Formats: sequence, C-alpha cells, structure tokens
Amino acid sequence: MAIAVTPDTKKNYLTALKEAIAEEMARNPDMICMGEDIGALGGAFGVTDGLIAQYGRERVYDMPISEAAIVGTACGLCLNGKTVMVEMQFIDFISCGFDQIVNMTATYHYRTAGEVNIPMVIRGPAGAYGGGALYHSQMNEAWFANSPGLKIICPSTPYDAKGLMKAALRDPNPVIVYEIKDLYRKREIEEVLPEEDYVVPLGKAKVVQEGDDVTIVTYGQNVYHALGAAEKLKEEGFSAEVIDIRTIVPLDEDTIVESLKKTNRLVVVNEAPRTCGFAGELLSRMTERAFEYLDAPPVRITRMDTPVPWVKPLELYVLPSVAKITEAALKVCRY
Amino acid sequence: MATTTTDTAQTSPDGQSSPGNRPSDRLTHDDYRELLKQLYLARYFDVRLIKEKKRGRLRGTLYSSHNQEAILVGSLYGLEPMDWISPIHRDMPAFFLKDFRSGWDNPDRMGMTIEEVCSQVWGKATSPGRARDNWSHIGSKSKRIIHSTSMLAGTIPAAAGVVLADRLNGLNTVAVTYNGEGSTAQGVFHEAINFAAVEKLPVVTIIENNQWAYGTPTHYEYPLEDFARRADGYGIPGLVADGQDVIDVYNKVMQAVEHARSGNGPSIVECKTFRAYGHGDHDDDRAEKYRPAEEVEKGRKRDPLHVMKTRMIEMGILTQEEADKHPAEGKGASEVTDADFPAEVSEYLSRGVNFAVKAPLPDETEGAMWVFKEGE
Ligand SMILES: Cc1ncc(C[n+]2csc(CCOP(=O)(O)OP(=O)(O)O)c2C)c(N)n1
Ligand SMILES: [Mg+2]
Repeated sequence: MAIAVTPDTKKNYLTALKEAIAEEMARNPDMICMGEDIGALGGAFGVTDGLIAQYGRERVYDMPISEAAIVGTACGLCLNGKTVMVEMQFIDFISCGFDQIVNMTATYHYRTAGEVNIPMVIRGPAGAYGGGALYHSQMNEAWFANSPGLKIICPSTPYDAKGLMKAALRDPNPVIVYEIKDLYRKREIEEVLPEEDYVVPLGKAKVVQEGDDVTIVTYGQNVYHALGAAEKLKEEGFSAEVIDIRTIVPLDEDTIVESLKKTNRLVVVNEAPRTCGFAGELLSRMTERAFEYLDAPPVRITRMDTPVPWVKPLELYVLPSVAKITEAALKVCRY
Repeated sequence: MATTTTDTAQTSPDGQSSPGNRPSDRLTHDDYRELLKQLYLARYFDVRLIKEKKRGRLRGTLYSSHNQEAILVGSLYGLEPMDWISPIHRDMPAFFLKDFRSGWDNPDRMGMTIEEVCSQVWGKATSPGRARDNWSHIGSKSKRIIHSTSMLAGTIPAAAGVVLADRLNGLNTVAVTYNGEGSTAQGVFHEAINFAAVEKLPVVTIIENNQWAYGTPTHYEYPLEDFARRADGYGIPGLVADGQDVIDVYNKVMQAVEHARSGNGPSIVECKTFRAYGHGDHDDDRAEKYRPAEEVEKGRKRDPLHVMKTRMIEMGILTQEEADKHPAEGKGASEVTDADFPAEVSEYLSRGVNFAVKAPLPDETEGAMWVFKEGE
C-alpha cells in the first residue's frame, strides 16, 4: 500500500525504513529483497509491506527458513550484478547464517583483490528492553565488527533510519543494519521527514546534544537513556554532550575526539555484553587518540556479561539504564 | 514412498506392521479413554492460555497448538519414561504430557508437573527454568526433555547426542524431536539427521506439517507434497500420518520408535495437520492477510477430538450421548467454555494456573547468575 505523503505528517521509525526500501526498489531495478515471510505477510513487523504486490516474486522472495542459504544466495546475486536486501526476521537469527556472512560475503572484495564487491544489506529487528528474552533481544554487532569487510549501522531516529538505510542500499559493500525494534512504533520519536530524496552518509556520528562537562557516546536505544542521564546530570550541575555514532563500522572517531577536547571526560554505553563489546573498542580508540585530553579515567556502561533474560526485573538488572549511566557519568564528572 | 492412509504396510520401516498387527491393536479401551482425555487436556490448556493472554495476564507470544493436539498426544503415549523428547514453540502441552501414562499426578513421572509448566508460562521463579527464557524454552535434564532455543531445528543434534550417550552407557532409549515443516529447511536439521543415519541413532523426527510457516505456504518451503520425503536422501524411513487422528499418529510414531529401539536407526514421521490460528497470538488478526478464509475453515474441519470420538463410537467404546457431553470440538477459544470439557481436565489445569499466579517472581539478581558453574 502506498503511503500518503503530506509534508507535515510525522512518521515513525518503521515507516521511515519502509519508505527507504520502497524508494530504493523503485530507483534501482537491480534490487531484490529476500527473507522469511516478507511477501504476503510483509515481514514480521511489516517493513516490506506492499512490495510483493508491486514487484512480484521476481524481486521479492519469501524464502525457506534457511538463513545460510538466504545470505549465500544473496551473495551470488550480488556477485552477478544485483543488489540484495536480506531481512533477518530477528537479528538474533543472523547466527544461523554466520559463515556465509563472515567468510563468504565479508571477505569477497579482499580475496579477489577488488574484482568483486557485494552490495548486500542484511537488516533486522534488534535490541532488548522489550521482554524478548535470550533470542529476540540481541545486539550482536560486535561479532561482525570483528569480521573485516562488513559495515555496520544502527539508527536511532526515523530521519537517520531512512537516510542510513538508503545509503546502505547504495553502498558497494555489505552492510548490516541493526534496527531497534523497540523504536519501530515509538510515538515520542516520530518526526517529519524530507520530501526529497536524501541519504545520511555512513561513517558520520551525530552530536545529539551539546554539553561541556562530559561526553556520552552511544548508539541505538541507549541514545535515549543517555539523554535521560543528561537531564539528571543537569540537576546535579553538569552539562553532558551526547553523541550517537550511528555507524559502528566505519567509526567516526573525529567527532568524538573533537568533543573530548572540549569536555575532557568520556562515558561510553553499549547494550551488548561487556567483554569485547563495541564500547570497549570505543574506549581503546579514544585512549589511543585522545589520552592527553582526558581529565578522568573513561568509563563504559554495558550489559553485564550475560544473555538477556526474559522476566522484566531480571532483564533490566543486566542492561544499561538511565540510572546506571547517570551514576557513572557523575563519578567521571567529579573525579 | 510416503502415503497418507492409515494403512502402514507400505511405509513400514521394519516390515512388521500390517493391518491386524498395528501398534494400536495392543491398546485397550481404557487407553482410548485416556487418549481422549489427554486430547481434551491439551485443548483446554491452549484455550485457557488464549483467554488468559487476551485478558492481559501473560507476557510473551502464545503459539497455539489448537487443532494439532493429536500429534503430541499420539506421539508421546507410547514412549518409555526414560525416552527423550525435544518440543518446540507450538508444543507447550508436551512438557506435561510426557510420560503422562504413569499417572497425571504420579510424583515419579518423567514429565513436568502442571504447576511447573504454568509457572513457566506465567514467568515465575517456580518454573524449571526460573523464567530466564520464555514459554517453550524450557526443559529438564532429569525428566529427559531437551531445552530448546529459538533457533529452529536447533535441538535435533542434541537429540542425537543424548541417545548416543545413552547407548554408550548401555541404555536403550529413543529421542523424539518435534519440528514444524518450515524448520526442515534449516541446515542443522539435515546435518543432524545425516549423522543419526550414519550412526543408526534412535532419533525419531516428527514433522508437524500445519501447511504454513508463519506467513509462508509450504510450496515456498519445499518442492514436494510430502515432507516425509526428506528421509529419502538419508535412506531412512519417512512415514506420513494423519495428524488429526491420534491413533494414526500413535501407529506411525510407534513404528518409527520400535524401528529405532531395535537398533535400525532414525526415521521421519510427517503428521499432516493445519494451523488453526495465526502464527502466534500477535498474528491472529493479521493472518487473513496471507491465508484465505476458506482454507482456514477447511483446515479446521477435522478436529482431532471429533476424529477420536468418531473412532471410539464406531468401536463401541463411547456412546453418542457420552461423546456429546463435553462438546469442545469445533469450537474456537472464544466460543468454548469450561462446561465443554470434562471437569477433571479443567480442574487439573486450574490447579496449575492458581499455583503459578501466586508464585513469586525470580529475584532480579538472578539475571546475573548461572553464566558459569561455580565452585569445585
Ligand atoms: C533459525 C530461525 N529462523 C527464523 C525464526 C523465526 N521463526 C519462528 S517460528 C517460524 C516459522 C516456523 O514454521 P514451522 O517450522 O512450519 O512451524 P510452525 O510455526 O508452523 O509450527 C519462524 C520463521 C526462528 N525462530 N529461527
Ligand atoms: Mg508449519
């Protein structure tokens, strides 16, 4: 179904993604979509709603429940000139296609000395805080950040969702998109999107809120927790700068370094487990590049080194929160 | 070649079963009555949870087994207490139906209690998994139920592993795994069955073919009509059962189980059925988007309760009057009431529900526990 576009209609994160994919399908006749239940159902969350009616099975494939074959077939299509959007029903199931992603797809350009590039986007609903339990809550971006050849993005607003998705679908490399499913239909973040075509370039962080005393760097759902913490910090007399990196690989280090020159204090937050989570990488890079600017030891807030448990009190116990970020940032500010 | 009739002679893995020599021939009238009662219980469990969910009392997704109960009841009935099972999302009743023949309230029964299963559904600390993961993602090492993840077909290799361990320890057990027909497209499904066939491991893989995998029809999942043909590539028996008929399921599964227990290796049993509702309760109002209403109406026509009652009337085990006393068959969750079920069935489940409702939540700090086994 076509979406009525009136200039001042606010749109949610899900609609933004939907529009990005639909517009790219219209723009690029070589683009194909593959995934489980993405045809008549329109995907588990409706992101591909309407595509099958418009493009048919030639360009929209309801695939068997075979993540490895989905990614591998998409890789072959890309090898032979197509652009493929692969939907993972939940990003957690990406593990079932792991080998085809990290060994077949990610390395293709490298091992062919640049002969081949794979313009594939693998996207899916990600993230916790919704009671999804162990296998419907993951943020497993670190697995892929540790596999050279894959770009990784994670939008936190409708504007970025649409712009980054479009940039990903035009990128000549494989890109994995972590869509925050808890934000899909969140009213508070709806916004008016530009009528004209636009992209948000990969590899550019965004200063979401300016501040002077501490820099909180994060992405995804935790952008909102960081903003919540910034409010609390204000009550304590500190002003926090909040940076949404938006792209995990390649990382925009410069924006963070510039901020640290001003605030001299750093807190990083990621939703994934602590050990080898991307927050650890952020800390390392900033200690390498901005050590002299730091007036306090930098700190990271992450999920505990556990899976995401189901029941609410347990889930919240192990995950980053406004309170945990606030507490850490206060310590850094008062160091 | 697979066949859909109740005649098992053609598909017999061991050449033993022919009409007059079927596993069900050894069932008594009391067995039939028990099987009917179990069908009622599985149905009641489903409709009761649908109601509780609609009232907002439960979290998570409910994958209804409505109309598919004969597969669970018929396949579990003939197993030995020490046999293993691995149920998946649509098989919640299997957790308490395992070894049910030993007595619904037998404390030594090798299945979960109704209190345990309800505790899990309600997300309480009294669940065997202490509600760390949701719904069907539980199991019990001591009761020999493999704990599934969300990753479809993910437990079949473990099923091969547990019976291999039993064999190494001199125990002759069988593992029965449950899978949707869509899940048979996972690589791990084939890797596991291949190894089981190589080692002649006693693994019986049940395919619940309910015609849909979420919003995807079977013709986009597999090019052949019978998913039992998956067996052909491994040189193992592939049987087809009428999944609405508890007796036919019992016969086919027992054939495969006896084949496995005699050391002849794995089999696949496809049970043809139909998914009565949406994929999960979140999909109930949406499923019409991809499933024609006529197909749903047709698919629900052969209610397993009705099929079983008809059989029992024909066999003189049940009178029409007795059959009509609890007319749950053919009714949707919103139409059916407790009076449509035998009192012992609704009372049994109510006991579990009441227990679960009053049970405590796990303490939040449990979220950080059991990542590693500590000590020693
Ligand atoms: C590896 C993997 N991919 C995708 C999913 C999402 N998913 C959950 S159930 C389901 C459909 C399963 O269909 P089927 O196997 O036929 O079982 P049914 O639900 O019909 O009983 C899908 C795609 C999953 N759980 N695991
Ligand atoms: Mg199915």
